Amino acid sequence: MELTTDVTNLWSEGDLNKFRRMTLIWGATVLLLLPILASLGYFMRMFQSNFFPHMRPEWFYAVLTLHSLGMVGTWFVGGMAGVSYLLTQYTHPSLAISKLNYWGTLVGVLLLVACTLGGLFGTGWYFLFPLPLYSQGVWQPWATVTFFVALAVLGLCWTIWTLDLLRAIAQRYSLKAALGLNYLLGKPGPDVPPLVLISTVSLIVSFAGFVAAVIVIVLFGVDALGYAIDPLLMKNLTFFFGHILVNITMYLGVAMVYELLPSYAGRPWKTNRVVAIAWDAVLFLILFAFFHHLYMDFAQPRWVQTFGQICSYFLAVPAGVVSIFGCLALVYASKMKWTLASVLFFLGIMGWGVGGIAAVIDSTVEVNFHFHNTLWVPAHFHTYYLMGVVLIILGFIDHLGLEVSKLQESPPRTKAIITLLLLGGYGFLSMFYWAGAHSIPRRYAVYPNELAQGTLYARVAFGFITVLLCGILLYLWETGKRCIKAFSA
Amino acid sequence: MHQSFLGLSATRGHAGSSLRKSVEPGKPPCTRLARLGFALCLVLGFAGCLQAQQSAGKPSDQPPNEDFYLYKQVPDITVQDKAGSTIQLSQIWRDKPVLLTMVFTRCTGVCSPFLNSLKSATSAAGGLGTDYRVLVLSFDPKDSIADMNGMAEDLGLKSNAAWIFGIASPPEIRRLAEATGIWFRWDASVQQYDHPAVVVAIEQGRVVRMLAGATVPVTGLMEVIQELRGKFVASYALPGKVAFRCFEYDPRSGHYTLDWGLLLMVLPATFAILATVWIFFLLPARKRIADSFPVARTY
Ligand code: HEM
Repeated sequence: MELTTDVTNLWSEGDLNKFRRMTLIWGATVLLLLPILASLGYFMRMFQSNFFPHMRPEWFYAVLTLHSLGMVGTWFVGGMAGVSYLLTQYTHPSLAISKLNYWGTLVGVLLLVACTLGGLFGTGWYFLFPLPLYSQGVWQPWATVTFFVALAVLGLCWTIWTLDLLRAIAQRYSLKAALGLNYLLGKPGPDVPPLVLISTVSLIVSFAGFVAAVIVIVLFGVDALGYAIDPLLMKNLTFFFGHILVNITMYLGVAMVYELLPSYAGRPWKTNRVVAIAWDAVLFLILFAFFHHLYMDFAQPRWVQTFGQICSYFLAVPAGVVSIFGCLALVYASKMKWTLASVLFFLGIMGWGVGGIAAVIDSTVEVNFHFHNTLWVPAHFHTYYLMGVVLIILGFIDHLGLEVSKLQESPPRTKAIITLLLLGGYGFLSMFYWAGAHSIPRRYAVYPNELAQGTLYARVAFGFITVLLCGILLYLWETGKRCIKAFSA
Repeated sequence: MHQSFLGLSATRGHAGSSLRKSVEPGKPPCTRLARLGFALCLVLGFAGCLQAQQSAGKPSDQPPNEDFYLYKQVPDITVQDKAGSTIQLSQIWRDKPVLLTMVFTRCTGVCSPFLNSLKSATSAAGGLGTDYRVLVLSFDPKDSIADMNGMAEDLGLKSNAAWIFGIASPPEIRRLAEATGIWFRWDASVQQYDHPAVVVAIEQGRVVRMLAGATVPVTGLMEVIQELRGKFVASYALPGKVAFRCFEYDPRSGHYTLDWGLLLMVLPATFAILATVWIFFLLPARKRIADSFPVARTY
C-alpha cells in the first residue's frame, strides 16, 4: 500500500469550494432555525407563566414536540455538517450525500411542522411508547403517521450520512489508526488528528443509535398490528437511541473544538494515549449509560440499574474531563487570540462541563428518586446543548464566515454578544435548575396551585430568555453579515 | 408499581346452571282470599326483594385498573365468619396477609368455578395458612352464614381454617368493594348479580396486588404470594399476544430469565460492528495512511 500524508490530492479547488458553499448553506439554515426554535421555547415559558390563560394546553405539547425535535435535529445536522467540512482536510466526504441530507432534512422538518402545528401531535421529543398510538382525540391518526414518516425520512438520511463519513475516514485511515489504537498500544503509527478519532467513535455509535430507532419504529408497527410489545423493551430502545443522538451531537461539537481551537491558541492539541483511551472508552460506555433514564422503572433488574450508574459516571469522566482539562491546558499561558469564535468554543466546552456535572448528579440513583422528571432534567440537557454544543456550532459558523469573508469583527459587539448569551442563557437555565431542585415537574403546560412557584420561576426565566434572544439576534446580525459576504465570495 | 394480571378479562357471572339453590315454586292458591293474600305477598315480597338487592361500583367490561387501587387502605369492616362470630377485618390482616374475594351463593355463573380455580391455584402455589389466608365475602344481603357455610362445604373447605367464608352488613360490603375495585349490580332480568371475578391481595390493610379473571393462574398467584411474603416482584403481565419481552420472571424459582426481546437490545451494537467491519475492511480504500507509517512519537 502506498504511504502518504499528502491530502491535497484528495480535493480539487473547485470541489472544495463547492463543499465549503454547502457547509455555508447548512450554517445559514441553522442560523435561520435557531431564532424560530428558540422562540418556541420562549412561547412555552410564557405558557407556563400563565400568559395565555385561554389557550388549549394541547398547543403547549405540540410546540414542545416541535421545539425539542427541531432543536435536537438542528444541532445534530449542524454538528455533522461542521465535522464533514473539517474532515475535508484529511478525507473525502461526499458532497452529493451532504446535499441529499439537506433536502431530506428539509422534508423531515416540514412533515414535523405539519404533524405538530397542523395536527397537534404532542408526545414530546422521544415519543415514548405507546403514547403516539393513544392520542385521546387530541391528534388524528394522520398526524401519527406523518410523524413516523418524518422520523423515517430523517433517520434514513442521517444513517446514510453517518455511513458516508465513516467511509470517507476508512478510505484514509485503517480502523486501528482511526481509533487511535497505536497510541493505546504505545506503538509507532500515523498521526491521527483528534477530529478523526472522535468522529470515528461518534459515527460508529450513532449508527447503532439509528438502528435502535429503526427497531422502535418497526415495533410500533407490530403493536399496531395487534401484538403486545413490552413497553420496557420499547423504553430501553428509545433511550438507547435518544441518549446516543444527544451525546453524539455534543461529541461532534467537541471534535470541532479539538480541531479549531489550537489555531487560535497557536499550539497543537494532539491525540495522545490519554485522549485515545478516553474516546475509545466512550465507544463501550455509551452503549449502557442510557440506563439512567430508566431508574424509576421497577421492572428493570437491579444489576442493570447499578451498571447504568457506573457507566454514566465513567462516560462523563474520560471524554468530559480529558477534553475540559485539555482545553484549559491548551489555553493556559498561550498567546490565545480571543475572537467571537474562539470564545464560543471555549465557553461551549466549559458549558458541556457544567451540564455534565448536573447530569452526573442526576444519574445517581438516590438523587434521581428526587429529580426524576422534574425540571432538573431539561436543566441539564439544555446546559450542555444551549451553553455547550450550540455555542460551539455558532462559533464554527462564525469561524467559517470569517475565514471566507475576511470581514473583521467588532470587539465591543463581540463582548456584548458574549455577555448577553451568558447572562440570558445561564439565567434561563438557573430557573430550570432551581425549579427542578424544588420538585417542579417538567412538561407541565400550566402549573396547578400546588406548584404555584413553578409559574414564578417561569416568569423569571421569561426575563432571562428575553436577554438571551437579544444576544442571539445580535450574534445573527454579526455572523449573518459575514456569512452573506462569504456566500458572495 | 405493579400491574394487574390482565391476561384474562374480568369474567362476569350470571349465566349457566344453578349449582346450589333452586327456586321453589309456590303452591297454587285455592280460594279468593288466598289468592288475594298471595298477590299481596307477591307484591310485598317483590318489594322486599328489591330492597334486599344492592349494587356497588361502576360496571365495566374491563378488569379493575389495579394502578388506581394499589396501596389504598381498605376499610376496617366487621365480618361474621363461618362460626358465626364477629371479627374485624383488621384482625384478619394484622395476623396474616389476606387474599380477598367477593361472591354470592345463588350465583349461576362464575362464582363456583372461580372459587374452585382459586382453591386449586392456592394449593399449587403453596403458602396457604402460613403466609396468607383467603377471605371470601358475600355481597348479596340475602346470603346468610348458613349459605356461606354451604358454599364452603360444597368446595370442601368448611374445615379449612385458612379459608374464611363470611358476610358483613350491606353498607360495609359496599365500602369494601369500592375500596378494592370490585363492583356488583343486580340484574333483574336474569335475577342474578353481574360482577367480576377478582382476587385482591391485602397486606397490612393495603391493597398490594389484584388478579382478575375466572381462572386464577398459578404463576400469577405465585407472584402475588411473593409480594405478600415481602419480596419485590419486578415483573408485570401484558395483555394479548406478546411479541417480545426483555425478561421473564419465574415465580417458582423467584429468578429472572432473559427473553427474546433482549436480543433486540443487542442488535444495534451488532449492526454497528458489522457496518464498521464492512466499511473498514471490505470497501476498497483510497491511499491509506497506513498503520506502519513511521512517525516517531514519545508518550
Ligand atoms: C433557546 C432557548 C431555549 C428555550 C427558551 C427553551 C425552552 C424550553 C422549554 C420551556 C421546554 C419545556 C420544559 C418543560 O417544562 O418540560 C423545553 C424543552 C425541551 N427543549 Fe428547549 N429551550 C431552548 C433551547 C433548546 C435547545 C438548544 C435544545 C437542543 C436540543 C432544546 C431541546 C429541548 C428538549 C429536548 C426539550 C424536552 C422536550 C420534551 O420534554 O419532550 N431546547 N425547552
